[in-house]
Amino acid sequence: MPKKPAKKPTEKPAVKAKKKQPVAPKKARPTLADRADKFALYQRSVQSPGVDIAFFDAEFRKHRGRVPRTVREDFCGTALFSAEWCKTDPQRTALGVDLDGPTLEWGRNNTLAAAPPDAAERVTLVQADVRDTKLGKSDLIVAMNFSYCVFKTRDELRGYLAAARENLVDDGVFALEVYGGTEAVVELTDERELRGGLVYVWEQEKFNPIDHHTLCHISWRFRDGSELRRAFTYDWRLWTLPELGELLREAGFSDVRYYFERVEAEDEDDEYMTGTGEFVEHTEIENQEAWLGYVLALK
Amino acid sequence: MTARPAKPKPAARPKTQAAQADKHALYERAVQDPASDVKFFTRTYRKLRGADPVSLREDFCGTAVLCLAWAKSSGERTAVGVDLSQETINWGLEHRIVPAGREVASRISLLCADVREVKKPKVDVACALNFSYYCFKQRQDLLDYLRAVHAGLNKDGVFFMDLLGGTEAIIEGSVDNDHGEFIYRWEQARFDALTHDFLCHIHFLFPDGSKLLNAFTYDWRLWMAPELRDLLLEAGFSRVHFYWEKTNAEGEGTGSFYEPDYVENQEIWWTYLAAER
Repeated sequence: MPKKPAKKPTEKPAVKAKKKQPVAPKKARPTLADRADKFALYQRSVQSPGVDIAFFDAEFRKHRGRVPRTVREDFCGTALFSAEWCKTDPQRTALGVDLDGPTLEWGRNNTLAAAPPDAAERVTLVQADVRDTKLGKSDLIVAMNFSYCVFKTRDELRGYLAAARENLVDDGVFALEVYGGTEAVVELTDERELRGGLVYVWEQEKFNPIDHHTLCHISWRFRDGSELRRAFTYDWRLWTLPELGELLREAGFSDVRYYFERVEAEDEDDEYMTGTGEFVEHTEIENQEAWLGYVLALK
Repeated sequence: MTARPAKPKPAARPKTQAAQADKHALYERAVQDPASDVKFFTRTYRKLRGADPVSLREDFCGTAVLCLAWAKSSGERTAVGVDLSQETINWGLEHRIVPAGREVASRISLLCADVREVKKPKVDVACALNFSYYCFKQRQDLLDYLRAVHAGLNKDGVFFMDLLGGTEAIIEGSVDNDHGEFIYRWEQARFDALTHDFLCHIHFLFPDGSKLLNAFTYDWRLWMAPELRDLLLEAGFSRVHFYWEKTNAEGEGTGSFYEPDYVENQEIWWTYLAAER
């Protein structure tokens, strides 16, 4: 996932200011937002790698008649998926790729440090462009959390897809996570309450129908009323499914398949549908307010 | 032998309004506004090229009322209309072009042809309105069409298309528009988010309860604005401009357009784009 560049430490003034009587600032008690770790919050709020791995395993087996062993997690951020992947099987390895050094460092110090050492040592993290074609071959490459939407022109996105294809083994599979629906193409704020009074806030600040550029943010609110505002910002082009299908084929993939998460109402009167974590293949789909899914491309 | 009484003729049942209606005439009234199109093309062309456009090609011209409005707007102007349906072209000739008089009609020619095949005469302005180019569902087919348009334009030529969008354009549903003598119903029977296949119908409903159902049916792909920009640039056009209709305080369209970089999405919008050769 794309990360904001790490904050530079404030530069010291070149000329020393006149010595002043130091005034002890009144220390306010740190709020929950002050103490929060945005990467930990992100993992908790957005990611569920166990569900994704079960889906990839089943589909890979169906199309390729074997179990995938090596995965590459593009835009891996804190590498939660990679760590989880290696935990599922002692023969599995994962390569996490991200542009942002500090985020990878957080992943090493937290995600991998918390994983069993045997699994953690099978995860490799590299700070690189996902379009690098010298990353070695994998059975499965995943681009989750829509991060490929940073590529805003067809040429850029096709370049990425072609590079990913090149880095797949002969019977490799590539997976893109997708979202859409009538509520994906408007400005809106969607809140979801998690345990402990934590509220995850997804904000579509802008969506431009002329070029499909969208500017989105993630914020969190805490039970003490404090807020971690716009902890993550995404400047994307929201690609449509036919565009992705066309580009994947132009990039050389032989087959493209579409899966959508099954949703159900929590109770009968509930007008809000909740995702079940189960992905079902479709060859056509009536549009909805919001949908989430995967596009799988076979090399 | 007495002659048998002649059987009384059954009383002729009065025809319903639907049975008397002419779908082409209804379509023109419900959907088209050729005078506004001519005004917009002229203004935009002047702004982009600093000159007045003389020649027009109307692709998917149907009854060619836009060709007619163009030819009527100035004594120099010429128009070529292209459509696949000879029947519709004939209707336009009989009901619109010929009645306009020989002078105007002499500056209009209508061709029954595939819009991808017509490369001559080269024109100042080409247009594809009423979303008819949505019939090209494959990217390659639309690209071929746009390349043909590009090849058929004069050096300074400009191509205009209209496009449809908004959150209510990408779902199923129908909307009625009351024209007094009839109701125009636009039905989006199917929108497939996976392919953007878009199946639509036009129905006409009359005060006597009669209906002209599926008067027109469109099996389309709903192309999105950025897809069109990508395709037009790939087809060789140098610049693509998206226009947006200005609204008044009540949020109604004013017929006046501007060129924004950013707009907020709406429930439904239609607008023009212009592509410079």
